[in-house]
Amino acid sequence: MTPEVERLERLAERLRTVDPYVPPPGAKIRGWNLVLAAVEQSNTARSGVHPIRRLVLASLAAGVLLVAGAVAASADSLPDSIFYPLKGVLENTRGALTFGASDQLAYHLDLARTRLTEAQAMFARHRVDLADQALSGLDDQLNDAALVIQAEKQSDPAVGAAMENRLRQAIATHDAQLAGLQGQVTNPTALNAIMQARDRAAQALQTAARNGKGNGNPGTSPNGSGLGNGTANSPHPTPKH
Amino acid sequence: MRPLGKAASDDDRPLIERVRKGDQDAVRALYERYFDRIYNYVYARLGRAEDAEDLAIDTMTRGLTRLDLFQDQGVAFSSWIYRIAHNATIDHYRRHGKVSLVSLEHAPALESADPSELAVEQMSNEDLHAAIRDLTDEQQQVLILRFFQDLTAAQVASIMGKSVGAVQALQHRALGSLERALQGGRSIDA
Repeated sequence: MTPEVERLERLAERLRTVDPYVPPPGAKIRGWNLVLAAVEQSNTARSGVHPIRRLVLASLAAGVLLVAGAVAASADSLPDSIFYPLKGVLENTRGALTFGASDQLAYHLDLARTRLTEAQAMFARHRVDLADQALSGLDDQLNDAALVIQAEKQSDPAVGAAMENRLRQAIATHDAQLAGLQGQVTNPTALNAIMQARDRAAQALQTAARNGKGNGNPGTSPNGSGLGNGTANSPHPTPKH
Repeated sequence: MRPLGKAASDDDRPLIERVRKGDQDAVRALYERYFDRIYNYVYARLGRAEDAEDLAIDTMTRGLTRLDLFQDQGVAFSSWIYRIAHNATIDHYRRHGKVSLVSLEHAPALESADPSELAVEQMSNEDLHAAIRDLTDEQQQVLILRFFQDLTAAQVASIMGKSVGAVQALQHRALGSLERALQGGRSIDA
């Protein structure tokens, strides 16, 4: 053994004889109380929510977030969006929860305005097929609105007349927009779809104008022959193309 | 030298399983087994009783409440708890700075500068502790764990994440550095 190794061995032996630092009893008791409290709290937190339950809760939360995101995304979606079908579901739900003739009329007019906006957007994107579908939706909403008015006229003619006036104003506004649109498009299919939409709007107004004793079928009307006489009461205030 | 209790070993596993099942007696057993050792280790590193008490409690709390993070994959619980203590010490240094209460510069000068005449047997425990605290972090660790905690080279290797050979080499260099430090020299090998 070299002198250096001998010295280091002596030093190591000396280190082994150093008295250890021993914690005061109070520190150990305090430590145990703190550790025990922390362990109990930790166990409570862990047992409170089982791992599988946590997974289910996390999945539910993720699902809710996903649905909320999809709903938010669908609110202003257009027919060429993947969220558009969800928009229809939400609209139907909203309709099922709408009561009272006046509110139902407002609901149908609101959707009619939405369909018209969608049609305009689809024409702008040259999606005539989807624009045509949107215009059909517009007609459906106006017809439903007319039927609501017809039923209301039977129970309260005065209220029914006021509602008819609301429909007339809405159709006049739509017709003005459709007329503007008609002047912008050149595609024959698009032109035909717009003209049909204007005619059907006029027929809806005729349906609403009946006293409610009819069958609600607006019948047929040739293009431009509805109420389009250019007067203030006409749903076609602007001349057709 | 007063014993620190049962040497750290791998037979903690049954206790750990019981702790995981919420057995409070097992928590107490692990606490009793390691608290004094951890307190001793942290005190030797920091040199202050108050800090050692807080860090030892903090280490035991972390170790016993976060057993879900402890994976028994070749690393013993003892190694894991010492690593927590080591990290807590390093954090303490970062927050408060490394303070040597009895710096060697102010320690009583030894009479002889000749290593062969260094009378280690006559040195006070405090002088030795102060000298150790002036060594590098790894050198402190290896000396405290090997000689104050009486752990084997293999156990120290597991704690420090080194091979046994590396620990033995580090121990040799640490003793040499300590010897020079006790002589009043300032040159310490890493």
